[in-house]
Amino acid sequence: MKEIADMTEMELSAYVQSHLRKQGIEVVLSGGGAVTIYSENRYISKGLDLVNIYAVNRRKIRAAMNELGFQEDGRYFRHPETELFIEFPAGPLAIGGEAISNIVEKEVRTGILRIISPTDCVKDRLAAYYHWGDQQCLVQAEYVAQAQEIDLQEVERWSEREGMLIKFQNIKERLG
Amino acid sequence: MLLPLLGSENSERVLIFLLKREEGYAREIAPFFEASLYAIQKQLDKFEQGGILVSRKVGRTRLYMFNPRYPFLIELKALLEKAYSFYPEEVREDLEMNRRRPRKKDKPL
Repeated sequence: MKEIADMTEMELSAYVQSHLRKQGIEVVLSGGGAVTIYSENRYISKGLDLVNIYAVNRRKIRAAMNELGFQEDGRYFRHPETELFIEFPAGPLAIGGEAISNIVEKEVRTGILRIISPTDCVKDRLAAYYHWGDQQCLVQAEYVAQAQEIDLQEVERWSEREGMLIKFQNIKERLG
Repeated sequence: MLLPLLGSENSERVLIFLLKREEGYAREIAPFFEASLYAIQKQLDKFEQGGILVSRKVGRTRLYMFNPRYPFLIELKALLEKAYSFYPEEVREDLEMNRRRPRKKDKPL
């Protein structure tokens, strides 16, 4: 097994997820960490958002993380051997008003990674762009769309449901 | 109104305030309800950690608002609106009749 100090975002996420899963805690990688993986490191996030999809009690998560050598630091968990830090945002796993059911599983050397799909990753970034005008998130959506196969029709359908069809049409070409 | 559900009077106060004013900060919400600043800050922090609220800094003030990405936002607001309709009229007036238009610096009242 690799040392934590040498683990990539993907490997550390899978390592933590696999440990938590043994204790009945299901978490899914979303947010900037998913962008790092899908953009093939064009965007780097040191924070890994593992969404606590079934609202497991924080105490249980803390105990499991302590077993791996992570210590709670406010809302984050940090480990002395890595710059990467982990957050457990509250579930449910959703983008806007829609639940995410398509979770991608990848087997890596440190365990099984469960991550939102590239298409959902793009939607997740676009949500921040749509609601807050966050240009950085739009660029991240572009990075993911350029590196992965995404379902643009699905992104369009979702954008329309979010009431953001015009905004989507304005940026559609950047994702194609 | 929602105390049995939310478990705290201040939880409801924070959500109702933001429902009507759209945004607010602890030092604004606490005196409005004559609640302790610490108790209101605690609720704001709890809701932010839960993804229901988001915040941004404006100068030295942390301003809170509903998270437009919260998946139950429409349903939550509908519930709060219903609860709000049972509030005393004077409270509803105070919440809704606040000045929103700009005011020039040093303008006399």
